[in-house]
Amino acid sequence: MKNNKDVKLISIPSFASRINNYVLSIIIIGVTALICAPLSNAQSYHVVSFILLFVVSFMATFMRMGPVLLASTVSALVWNYFFIPPHYTFHIDKAEDILMFGMFFIIAMLNGVLTTRIRRQERLAREREERTNALFQLTKELSKASGIEDVQAVAIEDIKNHFSFDAFFILQDGNNMLHSSGKSQNEKKFTQNEYDIAGWVFKHSQNAGKYTNIHSSVDYTFYPLRGARINPGVLAIKTDEQFQGDKQLFWNTYLTQISNALERGFLGELAQKARFLDESDKLYKTLFNSVSHELRIPVATILGSVDTLLTSPHAGNVQTALYNEIFTASLRLNRLIENLLNMSRLESGRISVRLDWYDVNDLVNKVTEDLKDEIKPFNLLVSFPEDMPLVKIDFGLMEQVLYNLLFNSCEHAPVSSNIRLNGYHENDELVLQILDRGPGFSKEAIKNVFKKFFRVEGSKTGGLGLGLFIVKGFVEAHKGLITVENREDGGAKFTIRIPSLSPEIKNLQNEY
Amino acid sequence: MDEIETILIIDDELQIRRLLEITLSANGYKIIHAENGKNGLLYAATHHPSLIILDLGLPDMNGQDVLKKLREWFNKPVIVLSVRSSEEDIIAALDNDYLTKPFRSGELLARIRAAIRSGDKKNDAPVLEFGTLSIDMINHIARKNNEILKLTSTEFSLLCLLAKNQGRVLTHKYILKEVWGYGYIEQTQYLRVFVAQLRKKIEDNPSKPALLITESGIGYRFGE
Repeated sequence: MKNNKDVKLISIPSFASRINNYVLSIIIIGVTALICAPLSNAQSYHVVSFILLFVVSFMATFMRMGPVLLASTVSALVWNYFFIPPHYTFHIDKAEDILMFGMFFIIAMLNGVLTTRIRRQERLAREREERTNALFQLTKELSKASGIEDVQAVAIEDIKNHFSFDAFFILQDGNNMLHSSGKSQNEKKFTQNEYDIAGWVFKHSQNAGKYTNIHSSVDYTFYPLRGARINPGVLAIKTDEQFQGDKQLFWNTYLTQISNALERGFLGELAQKARFLDESDKLYKTLFNSVSHELRIPVATILGSVDTLLTSPHAGNVQTALYNEIFTASLRLNRLIENLLNMSRLESGRISVRLDWYDVNDLVNKVTEDLKDEIKPFNLLVSFPEDMPLVKIDFGLMEQVLYNLLFNSCEHAPVSSNIRLNGYHENDELVLQILDRGPGFSKEAIKNVFKKFFRVEGSKTGGLGLGLFIVKGFVEAHKGLITVENREDGGAKFTIRIPSLSPEIKNLQNEY
Repeated sequence: MDEIETILIIDDELQIRRLLEITLSANGYKIIHAENGKNGLLYAATHHPSLIILDLGLPDMNGQDVLKKLREWFNKPVIVLSVRSSEEDIIAALDNDYLTKPFRSGELLARIRAAIRSGDKKNDAPVLEFGTLSIDMINHIARKNNEILKLTSTEFSLLCLLAKNQGRVLTHKYILKEVWGYGYIEQTQYLRVFVAQLRKKIEDNPSKPALLITESGIGYRFGE
């Protein structure tokens, strides 16, 4: 393969082959001199110089600078010793021969030096071209690859071809976390230590492992794959030589290309996921809306009709009593539907909290107005401090919370007992407490009251056991906390804590 | 109210339409109904209703678009109906009255009466009287039990705005825009604080307000 040839060209020749080249150059000169021995007479020794020059030039085309210089020196000396009269001495008689010898020496040297320099430049140019080509190939193949898996396969194949070593990917999971069981294309199992190093590399965006200053004792070198928006992960390679100079630069460029391709893959996956979520969200909303519509409209019709009947002056006592029953039953059905729909919203995780500033009094007034018939038999005591600040809540959700809690108390507390609703603001938290004189909860029940469909055993009231489940869900949607305890002197006490800073209102006091 | 008022109901639910028709006819209104937005817009133009009851969930058009189109030329009151817990709808209602399903028929009738009356004439008399509260628009003085109330200028503007539109729901945004200006349109906390202050001064029982009534999630209404 042509790529393997390239690797050999770049590699530095071993010590032995360097020595061999020197010996070879001396042998070649020696052999040439022997062949030329018949020309050692006074008439043709000049020809020998040309032959030797030719041989040195020829050697320069395939040998390195050192052997060529040695060859040119040796050939000059050989020519002097064996061919320039007087023979077998380094002495030169004629002035023109001294000149000839000097020129021979210089020309041989120049020849050798220039030829090897041209060769080196040619080699560098070829190497550069090879690299450009390799990068071009890589880019082309990466652009064809679709998806992260594909990109990894292409990159591993290409690295193998161009650098002759194995590469392994350890990619993040999409949440910027690197796992030991991450998706690496060739299912390489690293040791825990190596994964730890990979994790470090990912976190710090720095090389580590073999040939680096950090964790250099392991067999692999770990390179971070950096992207503009997402860092795809880490690349581990196992190589026997360290990158140098140009090659290091080339490798870095190579890595950048792979990182970019992987990042594109990740972004593509993200976009796809977002599209998918969007679609399923739309589907859920459509379904939810039509189901809730279908459930609510008949109840609204019943409620509205009975309400009109109740206000009509023609109804007799029996009719009015029956209308009242229908009205109460449809209210109960309405509550049930609302709770079921709310449970569905909670379960699907699609509760969106819309926070705004509200006066707690408004919240309490709204709920007590809605529950006025239920509350009538009780003594509701509402207490808020005079300087209660505004609170940041989702009115609709908190309305449900308070409604369900108060409704619960009304269901369980004995008639004409006190139901207390306390509220205050403390440590940037809104605190709401609902206290009743009902039976409270047994030890077993108190652990489960907030669970879905949980109903206290033997409780006289109906219901699905969804009320408190929804209360907890909505309070938690506010990043709040709800607790329940039995009061020492009987009854239950619910406490809600919801984070809520005091509103920033400027220049309020000095306005007149 | 000598002449019979016509009310246009735009709702896709047959049962709700019939319920409204029965309830409202019994109270002396003439009813026309449309089952979709397209017909609703058509009938609004051809029958000149005194009031429109518009359900926001329509099959053919977005209810909010119907409202927008309607408002290009229709200057009589509109009462928007919507199911609970979809607050986006509420915001769309902006200058219109608003009622959530299920609603009490008594409540609906009261809203209709208030809306038609305020459509006839706004409360623009120089002095408005509400039980023991009187507001003198010209001299910028409000009295409670014949005692002059100490109101800041913002409190007074707020009181006037709500009192002039007695019975109608004014949305948070609308009030903030009118009293504080465009820059404050999202600053609900100002409105809440001022309403709370105002209640302490004008209400008989500030924690059970009878004049400054909160319409949760929508705005405020001046009670009757």
